[in-house]
Amino acid sequence: MQNAEEKLDQWKRFYRSVQVLLRAGPRALRRLSSSELARLIDDYQGLTADLARARSFGGARQTIDQLNRIAVAGHNLLYGQIRLREAGAAPHWFGRFARSVRAHLWAVALSAIVFFGSAGVSFVAVQIYPHLGYDLLDDGFLDFDPASEENLHNIPSLARPVISSLIISNNIQVTLLAFGFGLTAGIGTSLLLIFNGIHLGSVAGWMTLHGKQRALWGWIMPHGGTELLAICLAGAAGYLLASAIIAPGQVRRTTALKRVGADALTIELGCMVMLVIAGLIEGFVSPSAIDYASRIGVLGVSLALWAVYFLAAGQDRSGRAGSDIIPDSAVKPTGL
Amino acid sequence: MDESVFISTPDHVSLEFELAGPGSRFSAYVIDFIFNVLLIVVIFVVVFLAGGLLALRSLVASSQGTSSWGTSWILAFLVLIIFLINWGYYVFFEGLWQGSTPGKKRVGIRVIRQDGLPIGFREAALRNLVRAADMLPPPCYLLGGIVMHFDPLGRRLGDMLAGTYVVVEKFALADQGASGAAWATRVEQGRSRQALTLPRGMISAQQIALIEQFLARRHELSQERRGLLVWQIAEPLLSMLGEDRDSLARSADRTDRCERLLLQVLDLAQTREPHVAAATKTAQPPSLF
Repeated sequence: MQNAEEKLDQWKRFYRSVQVLLRAGPRALRRLSSSELARLIDDYQGLTADLARARSFGGARQTIDQLNRIAVAGHNLLYGQIRLREAGAAPHWFGRFARSVRAHLWAVALSAIVFFGSAGVSFVAVQIYPHLGYDLLDDGFLDFDPASEENLHNIPSLARPVISSLIISNNIQVTLLAFGFGLTAGIGTSLLLIFNGIHLGSVAGWMTLHGKQRALWGWIMPHGGTELLAICLAGAAGYLLASAIIAPGQVRRTTALKRVGADALTIELGCMVMLVIAGLIEGFVSPSAIDYASRIGVLGVSLALWAVYFLAAGQDRSGRAGSDIIPDSAVKPTGL
Repeated sequence: MDESVFISTPDHVSLEFELAGPGSRFSAYVIDFIFNVLLIVVIFVVVFLAGGLLALRSLVASSQGTSSWGTSWILAFLVLIIFLINWGYYVFFEGLWQGSTPGKKRVGIRVIRQDGLPIGFREAALRNLVRAADMLPPPCYLLGGIVMHFDPLGRRLGDMLAGTYVVVEKFALADQGASGAAWATRVEQGRSRQALTLPRGMISAQQIALIEQFLARRHELSQERRGLLVWQIAEPLLSMLGEDRDSLARSADRTDRCERLLLQVLDLAQTREPHVAAATKTAQPPSLF
């Protein structure tokens, strides 16, 4: 029979070799020979059996902790391969965004209704009650308004990189909040979309009221198509999270959250890319001296490109939805 | 909140993870916050020093135009880098360091997936990009704190979304003496402790377990505590073992003698247990390298 101390030493040696393999990265196991691999698995099974026996026969707490720790390391090494498989099973990133958006069109529609709805309402409200403009718009803007049409376009070219990066980071922050606030059952997302919609609508209403609509649209159009679309999609990502909290269906809310998480994250990351593109246009193209027709052209082209992307990209022959790539983990945690 | 979570693996092994409490998570957060600020300050200093050098060089070359373009791009870069640090700090570290950040490392906690594996970039992004919701109303972490308080697994909203737990990371394996290994002998025999019957009485299985655990841990105890404990454990057994309680109580090497007695009891208990030959394993010690 094996001596008890020999046995503990054996597990400590096992632990050390597992540590070496873990440090060597997820592909380290592939470099082992078949007999080494078989030995590793045998040892792991022997170890876990000992762990189970030590638990049921009342081994010292300290011993169980040590065995448990070695078992965790062994488990992470052997089952860490799952993560490689998950990465391999993920569909190509380019089509994922389009596919996730297509899978949750209801959320996109809801977000667009809330955002453009509040924009429309505030636009009309400012037309009917012009004094509302003084409440809704900040002083900086009101001072700025009486200036000439060119004022909107004359960001000095020197400042454009800074303006562009400020716009990009600010917009991405807005979409990150719209996404994250989905966890407040969508209340935060709705408030964010409504505030931004009211801002957009009242600016547009105010400019229209003062006959500056051509300057306004000329300014907004080149980047607006991409930017406003991205904000709607970020709102959709937020509503997707909210749907898991409000209507989880047959599963627990935490399970529902896990299920929508991957798609919502994909949409949010896609929005960030869209906003980088929009920010570059807003910083460099919108303030440039191109004429009104080209501005319409830029809007048309950008919208057409996005339409093609969202309709065509990632059309899978197997018709698999993006969320399927996250295997619902078979493990069921239980509290002690 | 529960103390620990058992994760059962596909091969039906229960792995135990000790859950990190709000206290250690908060201290990790504070350390990370300071680290975050320091990082930004360092970048500011480096960029401005570099920018200063750049401006100096362009002064020498007397080309004003290029220098201001340089400044503009540097500022743009700064804006983006600060944004990236603010939102990406946790994603970067947790993704790269398998669920740990400088603060978490210091406190000794880390993030794991529900299946016990370390997290990757996807989980890190999910649980940290929605941090703003947990932080509500900023920067109180009130919503996240309430959710954590009521969740038996101590998760904040971001953890629920990403399917993660924050657990205590146990560090290096402590060495333990021969007595600590006694469980393994018993495990080999495939049976649990039994009461030990002596001519003058019986030592129960619980008492033997107590003796075993004391002997395994005695070197970690302070001398004073060790003497106190060994007396408490040994005293009721003295008459059974044929020792004179009063003379032993007065003797100077009381602790040593008591420990020797307990070791004898343990030896006796182990030799009295019947051997079960079939349970003997022939596993070789692993020698992968």
